[in-house]
Amino acid sequence: MLTYIIRRLLIGALTLFLITLIIYGLIRHMPGTPVTQMELADPGHVLSPENEAMLNKLYGLDKPWHQAYFTWLGNVFCGDLGDSFVQKKSVASIIASRIGPTLLLSVTSLTLTYFLAIPMGLFAVVNKGKFSERFLSVLLYVLYSVPGFVAGIGLLIIFYQNLGWLAPGLHDSGYENFSFWGKIGDTAKHMILPVICYSYASLAYLSRFVKANMEEVIRQDYIRTARAKGVSPRNIVLHHAFRNTLIPFVTLLGLSLPALLGGSIIIEQIFNWPGMGQEFFKSIAARDYPLIMGMTLLFSFLTLLGQLLADILYAVVDPRVKLD
Amino acid sequence: MKKSQKNKKNQVSSKPAAKYSENSSTGQSANGQSEKSSSQANAGTAVLERSRGYWAETWVRFRRRRLAMTALGYVILLSLVAIFSPMIAGTKPIICQYKGQIYFPCMGYFYPSWENPVFIHDDIVHAYPRRLKEADPESWAIFPLVYNDTTYRVRENDMPGRPENPYGTNGVPSLQNLCGTNAYGYDVFAMLVHGTRTALLVGFVSTGLAALIGITLGAFAGFFGGWIDIIISRMLEVVICVPTLIMILAFVAVIENPSIWHVMVIIGLTSWPKIARLMRGEFIKLKQSEYVAAARSLGASRFRIIFRHILPNALAPVLVPITFSIAASILLESSLSFLGIATSSSAISWGSILHNGHQNLAMWWLTLFPGILIFLTVLAYNLIGEALQEVTDPRQRGSR
Repeated sequence: MLTYIIRRLLIGALTLFLITLIIYGLIRHMPGTPVTQMELADPGHVLSPENEAMLNKLYGLDKPWHQAYFTWLGNVFCGDLGDSFVQKKSVASIIASRIGPTLLLSVTSLTLTYFLAIPMGLFAVVNKGKFSERFLSVLLYVLYSVPGFVAGIGLLIIFYQNLGWLAPGLHDSGYENFSFWGKIGDTAKHMILPVICYSYASLAYLSRFVKANMEEVIRQDYIRTARAKGVSPRNIVLHHAFRNTLIPFVTLLGLSLPALLGGSIIIEQIFNWPGMGQEFFKSIAARDYPLIMGMTLLFSFLTLLGQLLADILYAVVDPRVKLD
Repeated sequence: MKKSQKNKKNQVSSKPAAKYSENSSTGQSANGQSEKSSSQANAGTAVLERSRGYWAETWVRFRRRRLAMTALGYVILLSLVAIFSPMIAGTKPIICQYKGQIYFPCMGYFYPSWENPVFIHDDIVHAYPRRLKEADPESWAIFPLVYNDTTYRVRENDMPGRPENPYGTNGVPSLQNLCGTNAYGYDVFAMLVHGTRTALLVGFVSTGLAALIGITLGAFAGFFGGWIDIIISRMLEVVICVPTLIMILAFVAVIENPSIWHVMVIIGLTSWPKIARLMRGEFIKLKQSEYVAAARSLGASRFRIIFRHILPNALAPVLVPITFSIAASILLESSLSFLGIATSSSAISWGSILHNGHQNLAMWWLTLFPGILIFLTVLAYNLIGEALQEVTDPRQRGSR
């Protein structure tokens, strides 16, 4: 087990190295540098050639990209992600300020999804073939195919444009002066739409997943035994079958780790939500190399960690699985 | 009911026989035997002369699924719309006679230079119906079903008697503009029809590329193992670990003025890992089977074993992720154009209409119609993929 983890960690480190190298190479070859993008954003602010050269030197843009990459890598090993070119703040502090709103959405939606998906999946198994099950399955299947951005704009048109009940963005203006309950109400008003967008597709996916797993388990011998003993169908589903469907669930939880912190570029863009995804999108447009690299590193690291956790947890939950 | 069940069982048993007959000559007699037994069991129903091949068998099973067939019909309809898009909506005549010559100006929608430069030279392009007559009273032309353009606003009397297109929030759907107009007065219906071309092209080109890369790499990794496997698996992991959108954003940003073809290639380059992974698994499994050992003992080269013996048998399961990947790449392309990245005026995309819809929430038709189209297309490919999965998965074949 320990050797397995160590080996996986080493491989993961190699993968991280390759990913960051490739992304760094790519972004350094994008047309435009942070300096030229700044001039584009503010046409009145044209730099003299000397100043431009000075800025290039300051940002390390005068060096070839592989050299700059290893400088960046060295700094990362010392725990320094560097400073954003555009925002003049450290990358770590920018990520820290953006991670809150993203977590607010993703944790809410993840909890909601799991709490709804499991009963829905079980309901589908118990009522297999009945009208209600068919209806639910079709509905979930249709939902699964609705693209997030279509649903997002649709919801905005209905609830913001026409009804005016809910709003995009993080807060209303004057949020600081609201009472405690006012703050909670305001947050809910802004959160509801993105949370729905975040959740519906994974809800559809998860409940289908639960259902498929249950159907697999229900064919096993021990279920037949339980049925032969005269256990009620309800008890079979809850006590005999469902517990055994939890194993693949653990994997899924591990794999959802990157989405938890990474947010979603599209949803945050639609609802103007100041989270990780939106920040990443902006940083690419601004050619803010350190910020792009810091976030790419975080996303890739979380993906790898999630995969490792999923594999380890799998072995923990299911004693038949041996890692070697 | 009982009979049909028997029939199904029979098909299952005849399938490996069909497989063997493709790959070894000794399988021929075994095949004949199974046919005999199947025709006995099938007495009363159809007597099979020769057992169907694997693909035919899959098709027969697929055809029974009404929903999947509807989805397939929808995709075919969409392809027809894509092929005939310039004849459905546009302002360029399908065919016209001008100064004694026959022209097909509508081809300019496929590729700008296919429209004869004489029309640009004589300044006819932006109002064919009126200016053709002005320049040559003898001329005649057949116009598309819907006279509207994707890249400019039709003005009053461009076509004699036709009022100009409304624009902005006035552009509500009407008989003249079936799906409304956008902020500048371009017709949304025409954009949707021409956007079909982009959507389908993206689906096929990028998935074709992904399938090519995925199948080749997966096959080599699974067949050869060892160092080749390690290197390919590492590559696979690198591509999987970077969130797709981030990878694509980085790639797209590298290219100056990315066209739709660039986007297709980039989507293809980032979506092969799933196919490769499945292919690798299939190859690891199949390379240990008897018919591969038989082929090897007959002296077949490794190249021949990979492409002639294993690949045809590994292709069916890989069709499933390929179908899903078509849906995913259409979705990806429309989300890219929705985000406002990589949109070029030459290729109209459903996603870019949605982008306008997001900016003008009051113009609901900019969201509703492309949204429904993207949704239906993705749903159709998902349904086909799902049906393929059930049809080609041997574990599920017996049930239902």
